[in-house]
Amino acid sequence: MLEALSLWISNHVSADAAMWFDYFTNGKHLAWYASVRFTLIAAFGGAALAVLFGLAGASARRSGFAPFRWLGWGYTTMVRGIPDVLIILFFPLAFEQGVEWLMAQQACSAAELASGVWPPCDGAQWYLSTTEYLIMACVSLGLVYGAFAANVVYGAMDAVPASQLEAAKAYGFTKRQIFMRFQVRQMWIYALPGLSNVWMLLLKATAFLSLLQIADIVLWAERLGAPNYFARAGMLHPDWRWRYYLVLFLFYILMTVLSEYFFKFLEKRASRGMRLNQGEATA
Amino acid sequence: MSEILPSFPNSAFVQDIVILAKPALFNIYFAFASIPFGFPFAVVLALMKNSSSGLVSRIARVYIYAFRGSPLFIQFFMFYSLMLAFNLSHWKPMGIDHIVMHPLFIGPLVLVLNTSAYAAEILYGALRAVPHLELEAAKAIGMNRLQTFRSVVWPNMIRLAWPAYTNEVIFLFHATAIVYFTLPVINDEKDLMNKAGELFEKDYNVFLHFSVAALYFLVISLMIFFVAGLIQKRLNRHKVPTDRQSLSYKPTFLR
Repeated sequence: MLEALSLWISNHVSADAAMWFDYFTNGKHLAWYASVRFTLIAAFGGAALAVLFGLAGASARRSGFAPFRWLGWGYTTMVRGIPDVLIILFFPLAFEQGVEWLMAQQACSAAELASGVWPPCDGAQWYLSTTEYLIMACVSLGLVYGAFAANVVYGAMDAVPASQLEAAKAYGFTKRQIFMRFQVRQMWIYALPGLSNVWMLLLKATAFLSLLQIADIVLWAERLGAPNYFARAGMLHPDWRWRYYLVLFLFYILMTVLSEYFFKFLEKRASRGMRLNQGEATA
Repeated sequence: MSEILPSFPNSAFVQDIVILAKPALFNIYFAFASIPFGFPFAVVLALMKNSSSGLVSRIARVYIYAFRGSPLFIQFFMFYSLMLAFNLSHWKPMGIDHIVMHPLFIGPLVLVLNTSAYAAEILYGALRAVPHLELEAAKAIGMNRLQTFRSVVWPNMIRLAWPAYTNEVIFLFHATAIVYFTLPVINDEKDLMNKAGELFEKDYNVFLHFSVAALYFLVISLMIFFVAGLIQKRLNRHKVPTDRQSLSYKPTFLR
């Protein structure tokens, strides 16, 4: 199909246009376009987990049980004091080693375990593929930005009018019901602006996927842009990396524009039937 | 290492703290070389964005949007490869060779471009929040624009923007962790992430090395909060203290 299209372009437009068409649809470029899926999966998966961790963190911070409060506070403060890239690198490595340690307990002999080398034996090697790395990238993005989301959600829960909660209490709802049916349900409108901000941060952090050995858009951009002086490998060109990075630069800006529109729409939807003063919906 | 620390001959933790002290200086350097340029640039950008001239305002808006809307990671790659493509490695400002392509130069350069966009947005918000009555009062007593800026706009803007700007400095400091993921490492000029990674590759002890690196980031962040808190107190010294302003660790989560 691509060849037919290329032929059509060379017949009806120009040979030059067909050459560029061929260049932009060669296997490497198609792989580049396809690798956008990793970025999107990591962004959406990470965001879903971030909301989950955010809710858990915020609930823990207002729990009646003090150790949960400390846990929630520790989680949000620790993550905020450490660079995101450190956690995104650390979590998959730590998780892999944890699993390998468990595998070693099963697979290796006592002598091998005591030898002090890692991994103790071949049976305790966990070979990770892109899928596993991608899942772990989602979890680490969720962990990092979940702490950010927890802070937003925590603030938003406070913004729910106290009179509503009191009314719920007067009607005889239990504590748990008040929390789940009133506080969590109503806080979204106050949390949305903050969550939109967290989403933007998370989206930008998806550029780190190449650090986890995932062949994402950044890695492909580097491969495609690298100078090619070998005619059999395709079009000869000098160092074009900056052009490919420029495309990524614009790609992320486009994603930001789209996200802004989406969140505006969400805010409009979430605030229907509510009368909010200008700027009140900021958590 | 045991000669240096005879009392902790076997403590790998203490050894790591010693080994990572020098790399930490690189992170501190990247952050603090960027602030003296990034802050004035951010002020200029904020004023440009607030300008009544449509073109000037639009230029600042586009700049701020572009740099806030794309990952710093990509910006690093883009600027480094741009400079490579334009052969800037052969450029010798003031006859000094090998400076333009040096990570210690490009690192702060890109960080300045990035942080100034974020800081400009903060300062712009503060600029819009300068009390209107004070501006009117300045006009009423016949101050010109420069006088108004110096005695009304500037002090208010800085005071209002300071907490958010502190937060931005923390983000900037954390962003220094990715400098050496994108730029070449020359000799043993490694930052915390780099060195922690190198130590990790030797003994695969991920918990120890990355925790110590994280500890450095955490402690330096706390120190930045402390100093910024002192400045915050000084900026608000004319205010009647309603309740004691604490210098505790209160990170803001928005950038």
